[in-house]
Amino acid sequence: MKKSLIVFIVSGLVLISAGLWFFTSANKFSPVDLLQFGVILLIVGFAIFVGFKRLSNVKRGEPVEDELSRKILQKTAATSYYVSLYIWVFLIFLKDRVKIDSEELLGFGILAMAVTFGISWLILNFKGIKND
Amino acid sequence: MTNKIKEFRARYNLTQDDLAKKVNVRRETIVFLEKNKYNPSLKLAYDLANVFSVTIEEIFIFE
Repeated sequence: MKKSLIVFIVSGLVLISAGLWFFTSANKFSPVDLLQFGVILLIVGFAIFVGFKRLSNVKRGEPVEDELSRKILQKTAATSYYVSLYIWVFLIFLKDRVKIDSEELLGFGILAMAVTFGISWLILNFKGIKND
Repeated sequence: MTNKIKEFRARYNLTQDDLAKKVNVRRETIVFLEKNKYNPSLKLAYDLANVFSVTIEEIFIFE
């Protein structure tokens, strides 16, 4: 229950920050900014979905976490870390060839890591884990 | 590894929800087990065998 609340609080804070960013620079929004804004909304949507899933488990009288969910989370973290190494290498490669600010590059990298985590989680939740 | 959880569940007239509560896991875990998408820990296998009053070998089949 506590963790679900934290998910909602963090999602709310991210939404407020993104909203402030959007409304203070609405006229100067480039397509890249819009893409980043979209990715942030996607990540927040994913976090809210996970939060509601946890709450529905509590309502049904089931544990919020069990051995499968913990294993999926562990494997997701490992996979997304591995993939994010390649993402950073690609971004560094891109930095020398495309004119891009360091801050923007960092933003892209962090968003890409979050997206990788979400995609890995979805794939593992669909595929399941076998102890082969 | 395959299992007969679905068969045993039907025999005992239990829903996935009921079984999940009895062994203290989420319903999704029972769904994954029945679809052979997850091999349980020894503790969960033992708990499932306890619910159906059989041995672990009767539920889980090693291939």
